[in-house]
Amino acid sequence: MTSPGPAIEWQTALGNAKLCLPPCHVIRDLLSTGVCVRCIFRLSGIHDRDCYISPINESELISVLEEQNEIKCNSTTSTNCCVCLGVLCPSCVVPEKPGADLREISSVNELALLISDMVKGEQYRIDEFSLEVSLPPVITANERALRLYLKQKYEKEQWFKDSFLRDHMSVKDTLKLVLNASLENYLAVQNVETLSSSFRIRLTYSHSETSQKLQSMLPNGHDSKKRERGSRENGSSKNCNEPDASAYRVLELIEDQNFCAQFQVPPGKVDKPCQLVVACCRTPTYIGGRYLKYSRNVSQSRWIIDDERMGETSVEEIIGENVRQICQGDGYKFHSAGREDIDVRMLGSGRPFLVEVSNSRIVPSSTEIEQISDKINHTDKKLVGVKNLKLVGAEAWDLMREGEAEKQKQYAALVWISRPLNVDDVCNLTSLKDMEISQKTPIRVLHRRSPLERSKVIHWMKIEKVEGTTQYFLLHLCTQAGTYIKEFVHGDLGRTHPSIGSILGCRAEILQLDVTDVKMDYFD
Amino acid sequence: MAENAERSEETLYKPSPKSIEREKQAMEEEPIEDLSSLLLPNLNDLPQNPPTAVEFNFSRYFLPDFTKPGHDQYIYRHANGLCVIGLAQAHVALKEEGGVTAVDFNVGKSDRSELKVTGKRKRNAQHFESNSALCKVCTNDNFYIVRCCVKGSLLEVNDRLIKQPGLLNSSADREGYVAIIMPKQGDWLKIKDSLLSYEDYVKLRGLL
Repeated sequence: MTSPGPAIEWQTALGNAKLCLPPCHVIRDLLSTGVCVRCIFRLSGIHDRDCYISPINESELISVLEEQNEIKCNSTTSTNCCVCLGVLCPSCVVPEKPGADLREISSVNELALLISDMVKGEQYRIDEFSLEVSLPPVITANERALRLYLKQKYEKEQWFKDSFLRDHMSVKDTLKLVLNASLENYLAVQNVETLSSSFRIRLTYSHSETSQKLQSMLPNGHDSKKRERGSRENGSSKNCNEPDASAYRVLELIEDQNFCAQFQVPPGKVDKPCQLVVACCRTPTYIGGRYLKYSRNVSQSRWIIDDERMGETSVEEIIGENVRQICQGDGYKFHSAGREDIDVRMLGSGRPFLVEVSNSRIVPSSTEIEQISDKINHTDKKLVGVKNLKLVGAEAWDLMREGEAEKQKQYAALVWISRPLNVDDVCNLTSLKDMEISQKTPIRVLHRRSPLERSKVIHWMKIEKVEGTTQYFLLHLCTQAGTYIKEFVHGDLGRTHPSIGSILGCRAEILQLDVTDVKMDYFD
Repeated sequence: MAENAERSEETLYKPSPKSIEREKQAMEEEPIEDLSSLLLPNLNDLPQNPPTAVEFNFSRYFLPDFTKPGHDQYIYRHANGLCVIGLAQAHVALKEEGGVTAVDFNVGKSDRSELKVTGKRKRNAQHFESNSALCKVCTNDNFYIVRCCVKGSLLEVNDRLIKQPGLLNSSADREGYVAIIMPKQGDWLKIKDSLLSYEDYVKLRGLL
C-alpha cells in the first residue's frame, strides 16, 4: 500500500469538498459533540475517496476551513465517533485468532492487510470478491439522533434549508468506499459491488455497550430467540440475526417524538470502539454430471445402521469426497435425480447428480475437473464411474428436480418363471404399451412409507432370451419414474397388479436388476 | 482384450502413439455392445430353481396348532420388522373338501377390512394381541378363526380374499396371505423362540 499520498491530493480534494460542508460553527458543534471527521464528510454528501483516506484530524479540519495556518483547536474528542462508533475512523478491535486476545486496528491500511492476510492464509484462489458489512442497529439509531439534533438546532438556518443531509452516504457505503480500493490492491483482484461474487468477505461489527442500552430502551417485541444458532457464552459479539432484525423493525416504526424521549439526542460519546469479526467464505460450488454404479454392494448414500455400515461404500462418498478434496472445501452434499437399491447397478447413460461443495478454497478449472473424473474412474476397484463432469450453477438443482415424476427410466431385469417361456409369452409382453399398474406400498418399504396405492405406467417391454435356458430371460422395460420394478416382477404377494407373474399366469421371480437409462436433458 | 490381440497379429509394426490413444478412448467409451455383455448373466450362476421372493426377503416361522389343533399359521418376518400372517400348508381348512369358500373380516369388535391406516407413523392402526381374531375362514361345513399370532399394530388385511377366497386354496403361502402386522421389537422377541422354522415345520407335518 502506498504511503499516504502527497498532501497535494487530498488538499485539492478537500478544497473541492468545502463547498458541500456546512458552516464552520456547525462543524465545531459536531466535532465537540463527538462526531468524527469522516462522518461529517459523508453526511455532507462528499463522495470523493481521497477525502476519506486523508489523514486529517479534527483540529486540522478546522484550520483548513477557517483558512488558518497551524492554529490548534482545543476540541479534543474521544477517538471513537458517537455516530459510527469508530467504524469509519477506522478504529476497532479484532480478535487475532478466534478466542484470542484483541488487537487494535487504527488505519485503513491495517484493516485491509489483516483481511488480506486471512484470505491468503486460508489459501483461497479468487478472481474477485464482494465485501459484506454488518453493523449494529445502534448506529442507525445514532444517525437518526444526530439528524434530529441538527434539525432541532439548525432548521431555521439557510444552509440547512438548502438540502443539507439529503445527499449523504451511509456508514456502510463509506466504509466500502474506503476499504475496497485497498483490498483490491492487496488481493490483486477486483471488487464486485453487488454481492454477485462467489467469494464473500464479511465484516461483522458489534458494540455491546450501546447495543445493550438500545435493546433495553426499545419497546418489547423481541423475546430472545437467541438460542436459534446455539448461542455461545461470550456476550461480546452476538452472531444471531434475530435481535438485530427486530431492532431495525422497531426503529423503523417508532416516531421521532417517542424516539427522542427514549434515546439520547445527540448520541452520547463512547469509550470503546466496535468489535470486529472478519469472516470469509465462498458460496457453494456445484459440480454436476452422471454417475454409473458397477457394484451390487455399494449403496447410493451413506448407510449406517447401529454403527454398522451396509455395503462396501457409497456412491455419495466416492464422488463427494473426491470432489471436495480437489476443490479444497469444508464439506459436501450429494444430490441425485432419483436413486437405486444397493444391489442394483446403474449402467448405460448414468444417473444425473450434483455435488454441492461448501466453502471451496478454489473453483476448479476444467483441467482440475478432469482430474476429479480421472481419480474416480481409475481407482483399482471399479465400483463407481462418472461422466460429463462439469462446473454448474445453482440453477442446476432446480433443473434436476424439475419434472421428476415425468421422467422415464429404463431397466434390464433378469427374470425366472416357473415354466418355460414360450412364443405367446413374448408376444404378450411386448404388445403391452403404456400399461397402467397399481402398486400398494411394497412390504420392504412399508415400515417407513405411507400405505398407499400408487398408479404407475409401464411404457414398453422387450424380451431378450438367455441362451441355454428356458425359464430365464432378460426383461427390458421402460417405466414411469417411481415404479417399483422388483415388485412388478414378483407381484409382492399380489399387492402389485398386474405383475409379470399375473400376466403370464405363473410364478415369476427377479434375480438381478440394472438401470440402463435415466432420461434427462440437462446433464448430457 | 480380444480386439487388441487380433490387431497385433494382423499388424507387423507398432501402432503409433496417436492410434493407441484413440483405441484407449474407444475402450473407455463403453459402446452399446458392451452394455449388453454386462447385462447377460453367467450361465453357471443360474440355479435351476432360484429362491422365491418370499424365501429371499423374509424369515419364515410357523405356529402349529395355534390355540386349537390343526390351526397352523405362518409368520413371514421381513428385515424391517413387519410380519406377514397367513395359513400354513397343513391348516385344517385347506384340507377340507371344497377348500375355502368365503373369508369374513368382520370378527370381534370391528370389521378388520374397514381400517384406514395413514402416514409414515401408521396412525389409526389398531393394536391387537397375539390371540386377537383377524378373520373367519369358511369352508363348506365349517369355519375357522385366523388369529394375529404376534402382538402388534395391524397395518393391512388382504381384502382381495373377500372377493377371491380361492386364493387361500391356490396360494395360501403367497397371494393368499391374510394380514400385515407391525410388532414392537420387544413383543417379537417374546414369541420368537417358540416358533418353528420351515424345515422343522415340514418335518413335523411330514410334508414334501
